Amino acid sequence: MTWIMIKKEAREAWRSRRFLILLIVFLIFGLMNPLMAKLTPEIMKMSFGKQFSVPAPTSLDSWTQFYKNNSQIGIYLLAIIFGGTISGEVNRGTLVNLVTKGLPRRTVIVSKWLVITAEWLLVALVSFLVTWGYTAYYFPDQKSPHLWLAFLPLLLFGCSLTALIVLASTLARNSYEGLFMVIGYTIVLYLLSLFTDFKHYNPLSLINHNLTFLTKAGSLTPYWPALLVTGVLGALALLVANLKFARKQL
Amino acid sequence: MTNLQNNSQFFMENLPILIPLILLEFGLMIAAVIHVLHHPHYRFGNKILWLVIVVVFQIIGPVVYFVFGRGDQA
Repeated sequence: MTWIMIKKEAREAWRSRRFLILLIVFLIFGLMNPLMAKLTPEIMKMSFGKQFSVPAPTSLDSWTQFYKNNSQIGIYLLAIIFGGTISGEVNRGTLVNLVTKGLPRRTVIVSKWLVITAEWLLVALVSFLVTWGYTAYYFPDQKSPHLWLAFLPLLLFGCSLTALIVLASTLARNSYEGLFMVIGYTIVLYLLSLFTDFKHYNPLSLINHNLTFLTKAGSLTPYWPALLVTGVLGALALLVANLKFARKQL
Repeated sequence: MTNLQNNSQFFMENLPILIPLILLEFGLMIAAVIHVLHHPHYRFGNKILWLVIVVVFQIIGPVVYFVFGRGDQA
Protein backbone atom coordinates (compact mmCIF):
# COMPACT_ATOMS: atom_id res chain seq x y z
CA MET A 1 0.00 0.00 0.00
CA THR A 2 2.68 2.43 1.05
CA TRP A 3 4.66 1.53 -2.02
CA ILE A 4 1.75 2.30 -4.34
CA MET A 5 1.26 5.72 -2.74
CA ILE A 6 4.98 6.43 -2.95
CA LYS A 7 4.95 5.56 -6.63
CA LYS A 8 1.96 7.85 -7.17
CA GLU A 9 3.73 10.71 -5.39
CA ALA A 10 6.98 10.18 -7.27
CA ARG A 11 5.11 10.12 -10.58
CA GLU A 12 3.32 13.33 -9.63
CA ALA A 13 6.63 14.99 -8.76
CA TRP A 14 7.94 14.02 -12.18
CA ARG A 15 4.89 14.81 -14.34
CA SER A 16 4.15 18.15 -12.70
CA ARG A 17 7.82 19.03 -13.40
CA ARG A 18 8.07 19.94 -9.71
CA PHE A 19 11.18 17.87 -9.20
CA LEU A 20 12.82 19.20 -12.35
CA ILE A 21 12.28 22.80 -11.25
CA LEU A 22 13.71 22.07 -7.81
CA LEU A 23 16.70 20.34 -9.36
CA ILE A 24 17.44 23.17 -11.81
CA VAL A 25 17.14 25.85 -9.13
CA PHE A 26 19.40 23.98 -6.71
CA LEU A 27 21.89 23.34 -9.52
CA ILE A 28 21.92 27.08 -10.22
CA PHE A 29 22.51 27.70 -6.49
CA GLY A 30 25.38 25.23 -6.52
CA LEU A 31 26.99 27.03 -9.44
CA MET A 32 26.41 30.51 -8.06
CA ASN A 33 28.19 29.92 -4.74
CA PRO A 34 31.79 29.75 -6.00
CA LEU A 35 31.02 32.41 -8.61
CA MET A 36 29.72 34.85 -6.00
CA ALA A 37 32.77 34.15 -3.85
CA LYS A 38 34.98 35.13 -6.80
CA LEU A 39 32.87 38.12 -7.83
CA THR A 40 32.50 39.82 -4.44
CA PRO A 41 36.08 41.19 -4.29
CA GLU A 42 35.75 42.44 -7.89
CA ILE A 43 32.52 44.24 -7.05
CA MET A 44 34.16 45.79 -3.99
CA LYS A 45 37.03 47.01 -6.18
CA MET A 46 34.66 48.46 -8.74
CA SER A 47 32.65 50.36 -6.15
CA PHE A 48 35.45 51.53 -3.85
CA GLY A 49 38.29 52.01 -6.33
CA LYS A 50 41.46 50.09 -7.10
CA GLN A 51 43.38 51.05 -3.95
CA PHE A 52 40.75 49.40 -1.79
CA SER A 53 42.48 46.18 -0.79
CA VAL A 54 40.31 43.11 -0.45
CA PRO A 55 41.64 39.77 0.74
CA ALA A 56 41.61 37.13 -1.98
CA PRO A 57 38.56 34.84 -1.75
CA THR A 58 39.01 31.42 -0.19
CA SER A 59 37.00 28.22 -0.09
CA LEU A 60 35.36 29.61 3.06
CA ASP A 61 33.69 32.40 1.07
CA SER A 62 32.25 29.85 -1.31
CA TRP A 63 30.83 27.75 1.53
CA THR A 64 29.49 30.88 3.24
CA GLN A 65 27.47 31.51 0.09
CA PHE A 66 26.30 27.90 0.04
CA TYR A 67 24.92 27.93 3.57
CA LYS A 68 23.49 31.41 3.17
CA ASN A 69 21.62 30.41 0.01
CA ASN A 70 20.32 27.21 1.54
CA SER A 71 19.20 28.67 4.85
CA GLN A 72 17.71 31.86 3.38
CA ILE A 73 16.24 30.69 0.08
CA GLY A 74 16.50 26.93 -0.23
CA ILE A 75 14.29 25.91 2.69
CA TYR A 76 11.64 28.51 1.82
CA LEU A 77 11.62 27.25 -1.74
CA LEU A 78 10.70 23.85 -0.31
CA ALA A 79 7.87 25.48 1.64
CA ILE A 80 6.67 27.34 -1.47
CA ILE A 81 6.67 24.28 -3.70
CA PHE A 82 5.30 21.78 -1.17
CA GLY A 83 3.12 24.08 0.95
CA GLY A 84 -0.04 22.76 -0.71
CA THR A 85 0.86 19.11 -0.99
CA ILE A 86 -2.08 17.90 1.10
CA SER A 87 -4.45 20.87 1.11
CA GLY A 88 -4.27 20.95 -2.70
CA GLU A 89 -5.35 17.32 -3.00
CA VAL A 90 -8.10 17.84 -0.42
CA ASN A 91 -9.41 20.84 -2.37
CA ARG A 92 -9.34 18.95 -5.66
CA GLY A 93 -10.89 15.88 -4.04
CA THR A 94 -8.28 13.57 -5.53
CA LEU A 95 -7.76 11.64 -2.29
CA VAL A 96 -11.42 10.64 -1.85
CA ASN A 97 -11.23 7.69 -4.24
CA LEU A 98 -8.03 6.33 -2.78
CA VAL A 99 -9.15 6.55 0.84
CA THR A 100 -12.64 5.10 0.26
CA LYS A 101 -11.07 2.21 -1.65
CA GLY A 102 -9.11 1.33 1.49
CA LEU A 103 -5.88 3.31 1.40
CA PRO A 104 -4.99 3.99 5.07
CA ARG A 105 -4.86 7.69 5.81
CA ARG A 106 -1.61 7.16 7.66
CA THR A 107 -0.05 5.97 4.41
CA VAL A 108 -0.94 9.23 2.67
CA ILE A 109 0.95 11.32 5.23
CA VAL A 110 3.94 9.01 5.50
CA SER A 111 4.45 8.55 1.78
CA LYS A 112 4.09 12.26 1.13
CA TRP A 113 6.76 12.95 3.72
CA LEU A 114 9.03 10.22 2.36
CA VAL A 115 8.85 11.47 -1.22
CA ILE A 116 9.27 15.15 -0.33
CA THR A 117 12.23 14.30 1.91
CA ALA A 118 13.80 12.16 -0.81
CA GLU A 119 13.42 15.02 -3.28
CA TRP A 120 15.02 17.46 -0.82
CA LEU A 121 17.92 15.12 -0.01
CA LEU A 122 18.60 14.58 -3.69
CA VAL A 123 18.60 18.23 -4.77
CA ALA A 124 20.54 19.35 -1.68
CA LEU A 125 23.15 16.69 -2.36
CA VAL A 126 23.44 17.70 -6.03
CA SER A 127 23.91 21.34 -5.11
CA PHE A 128 26.46 20.36 -2.43
CA LEU A 129 28.47 18.24 -4.87
CA VAL A 130 28.48 20.99 -7.51
CA THR A 131 29.66 23.59 -5.01
CA TRP A 132 32.23 21.15 -3.69
CA GLY A 133 33.63 20.42 -7.16
CA TYR A 134 33.97 24.05 -8.22
CA THR A 135 35.27 25.14 -4.83
CA ALA A 136 37.97 22.49 -4.93
CA TYR A 137 38.87 23.61 -8.46
CA TYR A 138 38.97 27.37 -7.86
CA PHE A 139 40.04 27.54 -4.21
CA PRO A 140 42.40 24.62 -3.57
CA ASP A 141 43.14 25.53 0.05
CA GLN A 142 42.82 23.61 3.30
CA LYS A 143 40.58 26.12 5.06
CA SER A 144 37.39 24.08 5.04
CA PRO A 145 38.25 20.57 6.22
CA HIS A 146 34.99 19.19 7.66
CA LEU A 147 32.71 19.34 4.64
CA TRP A 148 30.32 16.52 5.53
CA LEU A 149 30.14 17.44 9.20
CA ALA A 150 28.93 20.89 8.20
CA PHE A 151 26.51 19.57 5.58
CA LEU A 152 24.76 16.81 7.57
CA PRO A 153 23.06 19.19 10.08
CA LEU A 154 21.54 21.06 7.12
CA LEU A 155 20.19 17.78 5.74
CA LEU A 156 18.69 16.84 9.11
CA PHE A 157 17.07 20.25 9.47
CA GLY A 158 15.61 19.84 5.99
CA CYS A 159 14.14 16.40 6.82
CA SER A 160 12.53 17.85 9.94
CA LEU A 161 11.24 20.83 7.99
CA THR A 162 9.61 18.62 5.35
CA ALA A 163 7.68 16.91 8.18
CA LEU A 164 6.58 20.34 9.31
CA ILE A 165 5.57 21.28 5.77
CA VAL A 166 3.38 18.15 5.63
CA LEU A 167 1.81 19.12 8.96
CA ALA A 168 1.26 22.72 7.84
CA SER A 169 -0.40 21.66 4.61
CA THR A 170 -2.64 19.25 6.56
CA LEU A 171 -3.82 22.06 8.83
CA ALA A 172 -4.05 24.67 6.10
CA ARG A 173 -6.91 25.25 3.69
CA ASN A 174 -4.62 26.21 0.78
CA SER A 175 -0.95 26.40 -0.13
CA TYR A 176 -0.56 30.03 0.96
CA GLU A 177 -1.67 29.21 4.50
CA GLY A 178 0.72 26.27 4.59
CA LEU A 179 3.56 28.49 3.41
CA PHE A 180 2.79 31.12 6.05
CA MET A 181 2.72 28.50 8.81
CA VAL A 182 6.18 27.27 7.84
CA ILE A 183 7.45 30.85 7.70
CA GLY A 184 5.90 31.44 11.13
CA TYR A 185 7.77 28.39 12.44
CA THR A 186 11.11 29.74 11.23
CA ILE A 187 10.31 33.18 12.65
CA VAL A 188 9.74 31.59 16.06
CA LEU A 189 13.07 29.78 15.73
CA TYR A 190 14.79 33.05 14.79
CA LEU A 191 13.27 34.80 17.81
CA LEU A 192 14.47 31.94 20.03
CA SER A 193 17.94 32.23 18.55
CA LEU A 194 18.15 35.72 20.08
CA PHE A 195 18.63 33.91 23.40
CA THR A 196 22.19 32.81 22.79
CA ASP A 197 22.13 30.63 25.91
CA PHE A 198 19.88 28.22 24.07
CA LYS A 199 21.89 28.06 20.87
CA HIS A 200 22.89 24.46 21.56
CA TYR A 201 19.19 23.53 21.67
CA ASN A 202 17.86 25.60 18.80
CA PRO A 203 17.29 23.66 15.56
CA LEU A 204 18.14 26.82 13.67
CA SER A 205 21.76 26.48 14.81
CA LEU A 206 22.00 23.51 12.45
CA ILE A 207 21.66 25.80 9.43
CA ASN A 208 23.23 28.98 10.81
CA HIS A 209 26.44 27.80 12.46
CA ASN A 210 27.65 25.59 9.62
CA LEU A 211 30.82 27.59 9.07
CA THR A 212 31.93 26.79 12.61
CA PHE A 213 31.23 23.11 12.00
CA LEU A 214 33.15 23.40 8.75
CA THR A 215 36.31 24.90 10.20
CA LYS A 216 36.69 23.59 13.75
CA ALA A 217 37.03 19.89 14.47
CA GLY A 218 34.56 18.59 17.03
CA SER A 219 32.52 21.79 17.06
CA LEU A 220 29.33 19.90 16.23
CA THR A 221 29.47 17.81 19.43
CA PRO A 222 28.10 20.49 21.81
CA TYR A 223 25.13 20.87 19.46
CA TRP A 224 23.81 17.35 20.01
CA PRO A 225 20.72 18.68 21.86
CA ALA A 226 19.84 20.72 18.78
CA LEU A 227 20.14 17.60 16.61
CA LEU A 228 17.89 15.75 19.04
CA VAL A 229 15.33 18.57 19.25
CA THR A 230 15.22 18.80 15.45
CA GLY A 231 14.61 15.08 15.10
CA VAL A 232 11.94 15.04 17.81
CA LEU A 233 10.17 18.08 16.32
CA GLY A 234 10.08 16.38 12.93
CA ALA A 235 8.67 13.16 14.41
CA LEU A 236 6.11 15.13 16.43
CA ALA A 237 5.06 17.07 13.35
CA LEU A 238 4.42 13.79 11.50
CA LEU A 239 2.48 12.40 14.45
CA VAL A 240 0.23 15.45 14.76
CA ALA A 241 -0.23 15.50 10.98
CA ASN A 242 -1.45 11.89 11.19
CA LEU A 243 -3.88 12.68 14.01
CA LYS A 244 -5.26 15.76 12.26
CA PHE A 245 -5.53 14.08 8.89
CA ALA A 246 -7.42 11.12 10.42
CA ARG A 247 -10.30 13.49 11.22
CA LYS A 248 -10.08 15.72 8.21
CA GLN A 249 -13.05 16.02 5.86
CA LEU A 250 -11.74 15.02 2.44
CA MET B 1 41.77 49.33 -21.67
CA THR B 2 43.37 47.36 -18.83
CA ASN B 3 39.98 47.27 -17.22
CA LEU B 4 38.51 45.67 -20.32
CA GLN B 5 41.31 43.11 -20.45
CA ASN B 6 40.74 42.29 -16.80
CA ASN B 7 37.06 41.77 -17.47
CA SER B 8 37.57 39.43 -20.39
CA GLN B 9 40.22 37.53 -18.45
CA PHE B 10 37.80 37.16 -15.54
CA PHE B 11 35.15 35.98 -17.96
CA MET B 12 37.41 33.34 -19.51
CA GLU B 13 38.61 32.18 -16.12
CA ASN B 14 35.06 31.53 -14.95
CA LEU B 15 33.77 29.99 -18.15
CA PRO B 16 33.44 26.54 -16.50
CA ILE B 17 30.84 28.03 -14.17
CA LEU B 18 29.25 30.51 -16.53
CA ILE B 19 28.43 28.11 -19.37
CA PRO B 20 26.30 25.66 -17.32
CA LEU B 21 24.82 28.57 -15.35
CA ILE B 22 23.67 30.40 -18.49
CA LEU B 23 22.42 27.16 -20.06
CA LEU B 24 20.34 26.31 -16.98
CA GLU B 25 18.87 29.79 -16.66
CA PHE B 26 17.94 29.93 -20.33
CA GLY B 27 16.61 26.38 -20.22
CA LEU B 28 14.34 27.27 -17.33
CA MET B 29 13.22 30.45 -19.06
CA ILE B 30 12.49 28.76 -22.39
CA ALA B 31 10.62 25.90 -20.70
CA ALA B 32 8.47 28.46 -18.90
CA VAL B 33 7.87 30.50 -22.06
CA ILE B 34 6.77 27.38 -23.96
CA HIS B 35 4.49 26.38 -21.10
CA VAL B 36 2.94 29.87 -20.93
CA LEU B 37 2.23 29.84 -24.68
CA HIS B 38 0.80 26.29 -24.76
CA HIS B 39 -1.40 26.53 -21.65
CA PRO B 40 -3.50 29.68 -21.90
CA HIS B 41 -5.38 29.06 -18.62
CA TYR B 42 -3.72 30.59 -15.60
CA ARG B 43 -4.75 30.74 -11.97
CA PHE B 44 -4.51 34.52 -12.29
CA GLY B 45 -2.98 37.05 -14.66
CA ASN B 46 -2.84 36.78 -18.45
CA LYS B 47 -0.44 35.61 -21.13
CA ILE B 48 1.41 38.90 -21.55
CA LEU B 49 1.92 39.35 -17.80
CA TRP B 50 3.37 35.87 -17.37
CA LEU B 51 5.61 36.18 -20.43
CA VAL B 52 7.07 39.40 -19.03
CA ILE B 53 7.56 37.91 -15.56
CA VAL B 54 9.17 34.76 -16.89
CA VAL B 55 11.57 36.57 -19.22
CA VAL B 56 12.50 39.55 -17.02
CA PHE B 57 13.00 37.84 -13.67
CA GLN B 58 15.66 35.19 -14.12
CA ILE B 59 15.21 32.03 -12.02
CA ILE B 60 12.51 33.57 -9.78
CA GLY B 61 10.11 34.30 -12.65
CA PRO B 62 9.85 30.74 -14.02
CA VAL B 63 9.65 29.27 -10.50
CA VAL B 64 6.82 31.62 -9.52
CA TYR B 65 5.02 30.80 -12.77
CA PHE B 66 5.30 27.04 -12.34
CA VAL B 67 4.27 27.13 -8.69
CA PHE B 68 1.57 29.82 -8.62
CA GLY B 69 0.71 30.82 -12.15
CA ARG B 70 -0.09 27.74 -14.15
CA GLY B 71 -3.60 26.35 -14.24
CA ASP B 72 -4.57 22.95 -12.91
CA GLN B 73 -5.06 21.17 -16.23
CA ALA B 74 -1.94 19.38 -17.41
